[in-house]
Amino acid sequence: MRTPIAYFLIVSAMLFSIGTVGVLVRKNALIIFMSVELQLNAVNLALVAFSRMHDSLNGQVLAFFSMVVAAAEVVVGLAIIVNVFRRRQSTSVDDAAVLRG
Amino acid sequence: MPLDNVVFWVFAPISVGSALAMLFQRNAVHAALFLIINFFTIAVFFLVLGAPFLFAVQIIVYAGAIMVLFLFVIMLLGVDGNESLIDRLKGQRPVAILLGTGLVLELFFAIRAGIGFSATAPADFDAAVNKGGNAAALSRVLFRQYFFPFEATSVLLIVAAIAVIVLASRQRRAITRAEQAAEERSARTPRTEPA
Amino acid sequence: MLKLIWLVPALPLVGAAANVFLGRRLGTLGGWLASATVTGAYVLAVIALGDLLSLPDQERLHMTRLFHWIGAGSFSLDATLRVDPLSITMVLVVTGVGALIHIYSIGYMEHDPHFARFFAYLNLFVFFMLMLVLADNYLLLYLGWEGVGLCSYLLIGFWHDRPAAANAAKKAFITTRIGDAAMLLGIVLIWVHFHTLEFGNVLVSTRSSGAGALPSAGAYTAISLLLLAGAVGKSAQLPLHVWLPDAMEGPSPVSALIHAATMVTAGVYLIVRSHVLFEMSGTALTVVMVIGLCSAIYAALASIGQFDLKRALAYSTMSQIGFMFFAAGMGFYTGAMLLLVCHAFYKALLFLTSGNVMHGLNGETDMRKLGGLRQEMPVSATWFVIGALALAGIPPLAGFFAKDHIVSFAATSGRSAAWVIASIGAFLSALYIARPLFLTFFGDRRNEEHAHEAPRLMNAPLALLALGAVTAGVVLGFTAEGGVLDRFLAPVLGVADHGTHGPSEIVLLAISVGLALAAVAVAWWIWASRRVDWQAFPDRQPELAGWLANAFYINSLYAWLVQVPGKGFGRVLATIDERAIDGAVNGTGAEVRQASRIAPIIQRGFVRSYALAFLLGAAALLLFLAVRF
Repeated sequence: MRTPIAYFLIVSAMLFSIGTVGVLVRKNALIIFMSVELQLNAVNLALVAFSRMHDSLNGQVLAFFSMVVAAAEVVVGLAIIVNVFRRRQSTSVDDAAVLRG
Repeated sequence: MPLDNVVFWVFAPISVGSALAMLFQRNAVHAALFLIINFFTIAVFFLVLGAPFLFAVQIIVYAGAIMVLFLFVIMLLGVDGNESLIDRLKGQRPVAILLGTGLVLELFFAIRAGIGFSATAPADFDAAVNKGGNAAALSRVLFRQYFFPFEATSVLLIVAAIAVIVLASRQRRAITRAEQAAEERSARTPRTEPA
Repeated sequence: MLKLIWLVPALPLVGAAANVFLGRRLGTLGGWLASATVTGAYVLAVIALGDLLSLPDQERLHMTRLFHWIGAGSFSLDATLRVDPLSITMVLVVTGVGALIHIYSIGYMEHDPHFARFFAYLNLFVFFMLMLVLADNYLLLYLGWEGVGLCSYLLIGFWHDRPAAANAAKKAFITTRIGDAAMLLGIVLIWVHFHTLEFGNVLVSTRSSGAGALPSAGAYTAISLLLLAGAVGKSAQLPLHVWLPDAMEGPSPVSALIHAATMVTAGVYLIVRSHVLFEMSGTALTVVMVIGLCSAIYAALASIGQFDLKRALAYSTMSQIGFMFFAAGMGFYTGAMLLLVCHAFYKALLFLTSGNVMHGLNGETDMRKLGGLRQEMPVSATWFVIGALALAGIPPLAGFFAKDHIVSFAATSGRSAAWVIASIGAFLSALYIARPLFLTFFGDRRNEEHAHEAPRLMNAPLALLALGAVTAGVVLGFTAEGGVLDRFLAPVLGVADHGTHGPSEIVLLAISVGLALAAVAVAWWIWASRRVDWQAFPDRQPELAGWLANAFYINSLYAWLVQVPGKGFGRVLATIDERAIDGAVNGTGAEVRQASRIAPIIQRGFVRSYALAFLLGAAALLLFLAVRF
């Protein structure tokens, strides 16, 4: 493989940052969630890249587990969002500011 | 031009571009679709990096199951409406963008200091590691070294499934008059501004 | 007895304590107990006098060390009592006149609800006064000095719910405080120069060769003038006299005891006791003389302008003490002491008789509303006549001898100008005391009320005082030189050089008597015969009447002097308080309120801002790790 591993890591970093900005800027709960998934994927990419670099399968295993957990998390998170929507008829995160100080 | 280079340089822009596009979409469905494109590109990266099993799993699980679930919920909630552009929190957007760029730069320098931009991986996985193909090698590691976490994640999945059923089921019980009044009030009162 | 001299002050102290703790239960008995303690002290003092007289002339000195009082580093002081002719004379005056006034007060204060408190204060005063005169060192004297000041404050303001009385008490205390502060400085200076405060070591005009040099004349002057300031305050001389007329707000027995017979004479006692210091300084005695003479004339004029009976008497006290200061300033200490003793008798008599008048007429003291009382109060009238004539200097009553000796001394010692002024003062003093006599007891009746004579309990002590007023002069000071008192006090006060200047003794005598009789006649003509319309005087000569009645407006001057800087300073402080202090406090509150308006921004409930916050933190952490490794 001729591509330096660092390039993959750069891509992963960029995807991660985009996901972070997405979490912070968007108001729609679902899109925020999707940004979180983007972050997770970026990390998975980094893991696999490192696994390739170090010639070990541990990274891939970890990425695998990460996917499993992400799946479970998405499922539960979406259920929660559905519930919140049923209450408030809005998915805007800003409207859930009841715990105001 | 080596193949993996070409692949990389074609899919990397697509990856980053689709992520950005997802960020800028106002419509939730469009955003989801762009994310799916992004997942596909990541799957390709997995393939290039010598993880064909994960390539498959990524497409099947992530793009195929999770994003579909997302789309289900988006359609269910009927939020194909557009999100407003004005951010209520002053300074949130600029700071967030600053944070994002700062993060990229930080990681850039960390990567440069850590690995350096010239280190390449060997052409293929070590034969001993990848004996019998990636899936077989992966399963060997998974079911021997990481057996316990594997079982734990299966329990996790079961629990998640139960949780979802409990969470998402509509409660059929008598709604008290107070709750009814509260419902009406929360539907009627305008969204209050922060102090 | 001399060894047990501490019993003399101790008895009144016990009386005071008894009245404080048991007074309410004792009732009138408390008053008798208080009188008994002072009488007992008097008896003991007489016995001590006997013991003293049994000693030869030059050895009449006994000191009793009570206890070691202060030991602070190199400063060591004992509480010692000193019995010598001067102190025993003062003790006899204080306890003798004091006992009579106590007995009088039992009748006078009979209906007062705070009877016990009165006698407690009165006994306490006698205790402090005795400590003052029996002290053997300046600090113990100062203890008594302050104590009598305190008791004066308590007794002037005895009816403290009357604002006039409360203010008068405050005024007295504060005015004398000024003098007391100067006196304390004087005592400190004594310590600085002598390293001792005992009379025996300080009041020496020569020292043995091994004991080091005496302080300079300048030091003596400084000390003397500072002590003089204290005396001026306590004895109500110019310029610290303003408290005495106001002090008449207190009950009449208080005026008699404290502001006639004893406390105000403490200043004279101080000067006479410290005469060595004054003599060693060149100028201090002259200052004393000038102050005395000026106060005498000033007070005489002021007394003539007063319409309140007690205030007229108060100014007359100031004038008489001015004569005592005058005598001391000339070096005629025994003359000053003779006047002190005689004045105690007749002034107490006059004040208590005015108490009779107030008692009989429901507290009326305005002489414009009195008059012609001798028909209804014959006994009191008799006392007042005796007291007034004694003060005026009609022979053979006491005041004649005392005053004549002093005025003649001025002539014979060559001080002609002083003699003239003093003679004018003597004329005025006869005038100013005959005036209340005629206004109150003679002339037309200007009051509708029926005046009833005082009960026997009140008149009996007055009889003894009257006896003293009549006989004291003849007995104690028949001649200017070599009289009984003169010889008795000589070992302590020395013998004054009378000199041989001026007219002969007979001429001086004639002038004295003539002036006194003339003054009484003038007073009769103006105020008792109905030939002069004295009541129209304030209307015809409002300015002059105003100057006299307001004692030359010194009170107003002092008020202005204190008020202007006081108010200005107060305004400054108020501004500081409002702007700076209140501003700081309120400002702090406002700052906190402002901060509390900003603080909730952190907790607005928006998940995204929380996310931003911790992602920023995470980024910072990442940066830190990246830099470190």
